[in-house]
Amino acid sequence: MSIEKRMLVRELKLIAARPGDIFKPMWFTLLVISMVPLALAPDSQLLAEIGSAMIWVATLLALLLNTEHLFQSDFSDGVLEQWLFLDRPLAWLVGVKLIAHWLFNVLPLILITPVAGLMLSVSTEVLLALFITLLVATPALTCFSGLGAALTLGSSRSGILGVLVMMPLFVPVVILAAGVLIRATDGSDTLPLLALLGAFSVIAATLVPVAVSAAIRLNIGGSN
Amino acid sequence: MGWRWFHQWGSPRWFYERARRWQLVCGWLALILLTLGSLWGLGFAPVDYQQGNSYRIIYLHVPVAFLAQALYAAMAVCAIVLFVWKMKLADVAMQSIAVAGFAFTALSLISGAVWGKPTWGTYWVWDARLTSMLILAFLYLGAIGLRAAFQDPDQAGKACGILILVGVVNLPIIKYSVEWWNTLHQPASLKLTEKPTMPASMWIPLLINILGYYIAAAYLVLGSMRATVLERERRAIWVRELVNGA
Repeated sequence: MSIEKRMLVRELKLIAARPGDIFKPMWFTLLVISMVPLALAPDSQLLAEIGSAMIWVATLLALLLNTEHLFQSDFSDGVLEQWLFLDRPLAWLVGVKLIAHWLFNVLPLILITPVAGLMLSVSTEVLLALFITLLVATPALTCFSGLGAALTLGSSRSGILGVLVMMPLFVPVVILAAGVLIRATDGSDTLPLLALLGAFSVIAATLVPVAVSAAIRLNIGGSN
Repeated sequence: MGWRWFHQWGSPRWFYERARRWQLVCGWLALILLTLGSLWGLGFAPVDYQQGNSYRIIYLHVPVAFLAQALYAAMAVCAIVLFVWKMKLADVAMQSIAVAGFAFTALSLISGAVWGKPTWGTYWVWDARLTSMLILAFLYLGAIGLRAAFQDPDQAGKACGILILVGVVNLPIIKYSVEWWNTLHQPASLKLTEKPTMPASMWIPLLINILGYYIAAAYLVLGSMRATVLERERRAIWVRELVNGA
């Protein structure tokens, strides 16, 4: 079995050992969504108007919460150090780890958006656009928050610093996604913006693993 | 001669002593330019026919906003120097520029808010340039905060370097996406490629002030770098001799 396959199987086994971890971020998203009508007003027209944006923000927050400690357990039990000895570039292994994380931890978050959409009475067309936007945008978000997690690995007092440091870089993704949602609401063509969003994700997925591997190296090697 | 001019920068002591002189020159130059530019701009430049006297904050706002962006680029250059030549002084510069850059960004946001009240009727609008400036402030804060999270300065420097390089690649994307999203701000006051739309009696003092603020920023960064060099080299003999006044 190739190393990549074994890494994926290992991630699956880790999740099977603690299945509760998958549900916490979904649980968090639904709780945030339930707070919106309580804080605003149970007016379904108003909710439908801001609903898709609220779901976007809630999913973004859940993703950040989810990815904050992406490399922490692998770092403390020495798995990351073993990666350095494999006959693969570190950036490649980081890529595999990020893909596994996206598949097993981020995708479930996207899958519950229809439920969240029903709760905020978002229309079917907008909900579909929201779903596709999240599918296209989350790879970039996962990469960047993974970088935040890797940068703060070696520091014991970083807290949520990794999230704070990376959030400004989410701006283009959030703006483009909002553009898609606005266009979906008034029924115009969303494809160009989705293509831009996809391009951003592809570039992030290609370049960010290199930065992540540099961050991991500096945290493992100490001052080297 | 050869590469000597370059390798000298690897010596903290050489830098500390030279930078003292440079700092002195920068300090006086900035003082003269800023006095001239500000007095001219605030006291003698003509009144704007639309905005009245309130436009005069331009002599603070524009130079400071220029610097806020230029310092991030300078910081990115330092990050490249750090990774390519492993020069520790580049890391010292990165640390000092991050603080100065945040200060200038904050100043440009505050002076912009003060200017916005009489002109737009509100302190803050979600306009493209204001928003990208705000994001820039958060990027600076990130660089400062990340450094504070590490105990080992070398490790902190490298982590900040990675963050800054990723940031500098993203900055144009952020800028253009925000611009596409919403724009209300008046177009740039000065462009290198076009003739200014203001009369000379307005833009000459502005140019003097921009130059003055750049040199003042150099003065501040050099001073902060010298202090940082002393702190990091506190175990070196020359620093002990210097501090003990031997």
